[in-house]
Amino acid sequence: MLDVLRAEIGKGLRIQLAHPAGHVITLLISTMMYLGLQFVLGQGELRQDVLPQTLVAIGAYWFLQYAGLVMVADLIEEQRTGTLAQARMSPAPPWLPMLGRLITASIFGLAVAAVAATVPMLVAGITLPLSWAALLPVLLLGVDVLAFTFLLAAVALRSPMIGALQSLLVSLVLLLNGSFLPLALYPDWLAVLARLLPTTLGIEAITRTLFDGRTVAELWTGGTLPQLLAHTVVLTVASGLLFVRNHRRTLREPS
Amino acid sequence: MIEINALTKVYATAGLPAVDNLSLHVPAGSVIGFLGPNGAGKTTTIKMMAGLLTPTSGQVRLGGFDVTRQRPAAMTRIGAVLEGSRNVYWSLSAWQNLMYFGRLKGMRRARIKDRARDLLTELGLWERRDDKVGGFSRGMQQKVAIAAALIADPPIVLLDEPTLGLDVEATRTIKRWIAELAGELGTTVLITTHQLGVVEEVCDRVAVIRQGRLVADLPTRELLAGSRERDRYEIRVEGAAPPGFDGVTRDGVTTITLRVDAPGEVYDLVERLRAHGVVLQSLTQVRPDLEDVFLALIQEPAHA
Repeated sequence: MLDVLRAEIGKGLRIQLAHPAGHVITLLISTMMYLGLQFVLGQGELRQDVLPQTLVAIGAYWFLQYAGLVMVADLIEEQRTGTLAQARMSPAPPWLPMLGRLITASIFGLAVAAVAATVPMLVAGITLPLSWAALLPVLLLGVDVLAFTFLLAAVALRSPMIGALQSLLVSLVLLLNGSFLPLALYPDWLAVLARLLPTTLGIEAITRTLFDGRTVAELWTGGTLPQLLAHTVVLTVASGLLFVRNHRRTLREPS
Repeated sequence: MIEINALTKVYATAGLPAVDNLSLHVPAGSVIGFLGPNGAGKTTTIKMMAGLLTPTSGQVRLGGFDVTRQRPAAMTRIGAVLEGSRNVYWSLSAWQNLMYFGRLKGMRRARIKDRARDLLTELGLWERRDDKVGGFSRGMQQKVAIAAALIADPPIVLLDEPTLGLDVEATRTIKRWIAELAGELGTTVLITTHQLGVVEEVCDRVAVIRQGRLVADLPTRELLAGSRERDRYEIRVEGAAPPGFDGVTRDGVTTITLRVDAPGEVYDLVERLRAHGVVLQSLTQVRPDLEDVFLALIQEPAHA
């Protein structure tokens, strides 16, 4: 089992690293876009009171964007080229290679998010306070994002045209998760909508621990942590069920 | 051994069965050509054999293991090259591909290395083992795909159009390989191809499928011999074709090609020509090849 997982992760990373130039360009565009937008929104200046919070949000967005890209784009490409079918002719259970893909996607997403976030930190002198209380929200945010990524991959098993839906959802996340403006500045109705999207609740919990000094217990009683936990659990269960359903449907009737 | 019992697949979107009550038993160590026109159900059958599609009814057993109910055990007994697919990762090297697929099959790293070295050496790819497959020629890519299918040394190999788009030399290598697999290693090989010459050369058995149904399943020799009544005769006569005969005349010699249903009819034919005062130059029996037999089988009216 572990061998299969390692093989899948190794293969995925090798494929990603086979074309490094594309990733470097994407990284540059991502960081420039973030700094440029903050400069415009700050009316000609990079506002130090906003940058740390928005950097947490854009970091989460980058993680989601790249993990999703690796997972879904690779899956569609492998469906097209027949390598997915080859991989399925394995004695390993079907979810195992998918888990390997998810781990690859998370490694790659995390690496890209870390590098992309480091550039603005150096350029704009952003410092992020560290707090142990943020660890749990960070972990939950990670699981939440990966569950969302797995959900998209499960849809891709049946709908190779997932790309458009993925773009729409990822764009909504970018617009609403606090990457441009902190969530506290949103009108109430928009904040409610934003909290339905992946990353938003995680970012809210993280920023409260990092910038407002809240403890995990306060996050729990304040309702942010239970909401984040519920969001993560629902998304994880939904993505697992959808994968099982779509995998079975693919075996019955290829898309 | 491959055992297919009453296999049926009905796609909900199509409504009609793509594979209809198909039964086929392929003994271990034999090479079977699985033939049929486009849309006959060959690829659907292969996908069900490979565990990529679930049958509507019936079963496939590979080496005694039911593909649907005992999938992990069945999957260790099979390697496949699927039609119209790359089958291997072009961004990876030949070596990396074999290592990956070997591990997916549950092999130990040391064993994969030995096996990959043997396969790549045999294929003439050892020197280029670290090159990306995307940079290989079509023939080399197909060789890597076949090597990946064989990495775990499976007792059953499914090859869906393995020589499609390959040049003469690559096709010859693959044919030699298939013969060696069955002859020396006892591997059961099932091939689908539209290149009937390949089938005639390497397959000791031929199964023909049409509209999802099996219309023939015989040893290749028997299939060819059984169609002897459809043998053709080529008659060359001096001058033009006599009345009642069609032929092609060139340089004062007419070539008439006729099919006869029974050997005795040949004598009648000669008598008729003699009655017209025709000078006979030669009379040659043209044995049907697999293409003739195949075309006859797929053009016969479908049985209810």
